[in-house]
Amino acid sequence: MLALLSVLAAEVAEESTINPVVPDNLGELFWGALSFFGLWIVMRYVCLPPLMKVREQRAQQVLADQEAAAAAEVAAEQVRRDYDATIAEARAEAGTIVEQARAEAEAARGEQVRAVEAELAAQRQQSMAELEAARIAALAELRGDVADLAVSAASKVVQSDVDQAAARAAVDEYVNTSGTGR
Amino acid sequence: MSALPTALQIVAQQFPEGTTAAEAQDIAAATNAAFAYGLAAIGPAIGIGYLVGQSVQAMARQPEAAGQVQTTMFLGIAFTEALALIGFVVFILLKFV
Amino acid sequence: MSGLSSLMGQLSILAAESDSPVPFPDIADIVIWPAAFGEGQWYEFNKIGLISIISFVVPALLFFLAGRNAKLVPSGFQNLMETGVDFVEKQIIEPAIGRDGMRYLPMLISMMFFIWVGNLFEILPTANMPSNARMANPLILALVALVMFVGVGLKHHGLGYIKEVLFPPGVPKLLYILVTPIELLSTFLIRPFSLAVRLFANLLAGHILLVTFAVLTIATFSLTPLIAVSALTFPLLIAFFLFEFMVAFLQAFIFALLTAVYIGSSLHPAH
Repeated sequence: MLALLSVLAAEVAEESTINPVVPDNLGELFWGALSFFGLWIVMRYVCLPPLMKVREQRAQQVLADQEAAAAAEVAAEQVRRDYDATIAEARAEAGTIVEQARAEAEAARGEQVRAVEAELAAQRQQSMAELEAARIAALAELRGDVADLAVSAASKVVQSDVDQAAARAAVDEYVNTSGTGR
Repeated sequence: MSALPTALQIVAQQFPEGTTAAEAQDIAAATNAAFAYGLAAIGPAIGIGYLVGQSVQAMARQPEAAGQVQTTMFLGIAFTEALALIGFVVFILLKFV
Repeated sequence: MSGLSSLMGQLSILAAESDSPVPFPDIADIVIWPAAFGEGQWYEFNKIGLISIISFVVPALLFFLAGRNAKLVPSGFQNLMETGVDFVEKQIIEPAIGRDGMRYLPMLISMMFFIWVGNLFEILPTANMPSNARMANPLILALVALVMFVGVGLKHHGLGYIKEVLFPPGVPKLLYILVTPIELLSTFLIRPFSLAVRLFANLLAGHILLVTFAVLTIATFSLTPLIAVSALTFPLLIAFFLFEFMVAFLQAFIFALLTAVYIGSSLHPAH
């Protein structure tokens, strides 16, 4: 820095009459103005218009592409909505079909159950009747057998014929009275 | 504490033998110019430092606004720096004219 | 204070002896250039004029080549130049003027590239002189900016623009005594003046800085005992070259940005 100061100080000794701040050179002003205004005019009318046109076109294309993309998006949304609607419709239809089938199946099942139950009831009735008939028959047969046996036993006991009819009536009465004891 | 007259007096007192009045004036002007520019640079230096510091803080807080902050920062620097540059022009005028 | 006074004494002795091996060049030698033709005339053509012509031809040629067969899907070179247009649109016009500022794109883009190419000659080896380190070009550009923003204001708001500037609404009546002269000065005088001085002084300072460090490097290289210092000054010279490369673009950007801001404030005086 000392060297710098010394050389700066050395410079002071010389007398300088020029002023580096004031634009005193007309030629510099002239050529500078010519160059700047020339550049301005050339830029304005020759250089920039094609570039700006291309940029404008590009911006428009980008805008158009964006619009197309937006339209495509809307269309896709529509398709999706349609698809959703179809799906919902089909689902509802399937639901009704299933419901109907279920009702039908339910009805058929009820019918069958009822038929089977009726048949069973009839069978039960029939078998009950048969049973009753068999019981009555067996009772009658038993009554006959008991009477015969009693008559023959009584005949053996009394060594004489027992009045067949009277005995049978007595046995019947007995059987009936004992039978009622059940 | 007046720096400028002091410097001028020092320079005026320390001329070697045989210094002409014009030379003395030139040396005084050169010294004056250096002091003028040095003083003129103090304020803008503080200003630009503060400005850039605050801008960096703003950009760190909101990085998404960095572009706008930067443009405004350059504008502020341009306005602040103008003072130092006027000091420089004064330096040139004092020193060379 | 005695240390300072003795230093000053030594400096003045050094100045009187002036035996530096590489003296600092006179200011006239580093910014004033001899004329190629027409010396002293209004068409005097020197290095600054040549640089101005080059900074007209180079951007015009680049943009012409990029726009000659401009395609929708840009190739490398067209893409590069469109980045410049994009930069001016996104970084300068949009924040400073708004969407209705695309009309001023040709002016702003020519301003920026004219200044930038002129500035780049500061660090271009063998040229080493920015055209904007002379007051001529910054003055012309600042006058163009002044005419533009006043013209835009008058065109869009008529004489109401002048009223808006000189008598800003929302100020108490009595304060106009104070505000009006300040506004008159700051809008119509200080704005173009500071535009021109900002560009000019930045570039002149950078130029003198580079000259200083180049001279220091040469001087210290020629003095063997000071080789340690030259080991410091030479890397600093390189560093300042890179710094000036940044400044060259930054000043072009700021000039265009400020012009756009002024135009925007004329277009929409509300803010």
